[in-house]
Amino acid sequence: MTAPDSHQRAAEAFSAYVEGELAPAERARLDEHLATCMQCRVSLERFRRTVGRLGALKRTAPGDFLAGVQAQINRRSRGRFFAKRYLLFGRIPFEWLSLAMIVAMLVYYIVVLQTSPTGVVPGK
Amino acid sequence: MEASLPRTAQAVFPAEREPKAILRGRRPRPEYQMSLGERLLLGRLVKRDEEAFNEIVRSYSDRVYNLVLRLVGSPSEAEDIAQEVFVTVFKSIESYRGEAKLSTWILRIAANHSKNRIKYLSRRRTSGQELRDGSDATEMADEGKAPVQAHFAAPDVMLEAAETERIMQEAIARLDEEQRLLVVLRDVEELSYDEIVEITALPEGTVKSRLHRARMALKDLLEGKLK
Repeated sequence: MTAPDSHQRAAEAFSAYVEGELAPAERARLDEHLATCMQCRVSLERFRRTVGRLGALKRTAPGDFLAGVQAQINRRSRGRFFAKRYLLFGRIPFEWLSLAMIVAMLVYYIVVLQTSPTGVVPGK
Repeated sequence: MEASLPRTAQAVFPAEREPKAILRGRRPRPEYQMSLGERLLLGRLVKRDEEAFNEIVRSYSDRVYNLVLRLVGSPSEAEDIAQEVFVTVFKSIESYRGEAKLSTWILRIAANHSKNRIKYLSRRRTSGQELRDGSDATEMADEGKAPVQAHFAAPDVMLEAAETERIMQEAIARLDEEQRLLVVLRDVEELSYDEIVEITALPEGTVKSRLHRARMALKDLLEGKLK
């Protein structure tokens, strides 16, 4: 078969042929055509090379990609997520710091009250 | 130990889905079952566990970035869109119902974001504000980066790989939006047809025929341009 429509029919089967999805009978028919048709053989080879080259188009994300995503979420959540962490202590625990300050002030107040001879806190 | 799965993430009962698939002319596909590990990870994501989210970004950033890059063509746009994809994932993880792989869901978001950006950019181009043809591929070449496979090769091989990539990217950019998506999903990202059907919501037969046309168009576009 060398009529123009046979080339057309052959070309239409290239994807299924390359992916091994042609039924055995169709595959045999295409193989038979390819054996006698140089034009379709060249065309199939170019088709196969094009598809193969696409598989090599791989790029990795930029190195600071994760940090960029975290910064976006942090900004949009107004600091609720992905707050900046510090190297030594992690995120500064402001809640615990303020609680510790309150306890320290309370202890200081009690100690001063007990050590004062009059029992009057200085400054009152 | 039974993993606690958020209600929103539970798969729909198969009997409810099959008739819809048949109506749309799609062959019913086997229901996707999440593994225990995926369920646990999803549970943490729904609770906005930052470390779980970092894990997701580390696992999928390359695929998402590469998909978007091939669709929009510009590395700077691609980085911006890919970041936006993960912000969307973080914000709307509840809408993932576990009907498909998490990676498929994320790539669908990436495809949609890319389509929107392509539309936006083409509107800007037609209004005469921006970019000449092929400038995105030139931007990639100007970066001086070759595809990952060429990174450890000799300089001349790297140069050739970068040039091949530029030519391929220019050809991909000439395909229409849908053909570009199909070629990138199948031949660049190497996804299965089931995954592509999930992402594009097209019947498998349509995917295959349009993909074939896209490959033939690419073959013609590349004729005489590559060694």
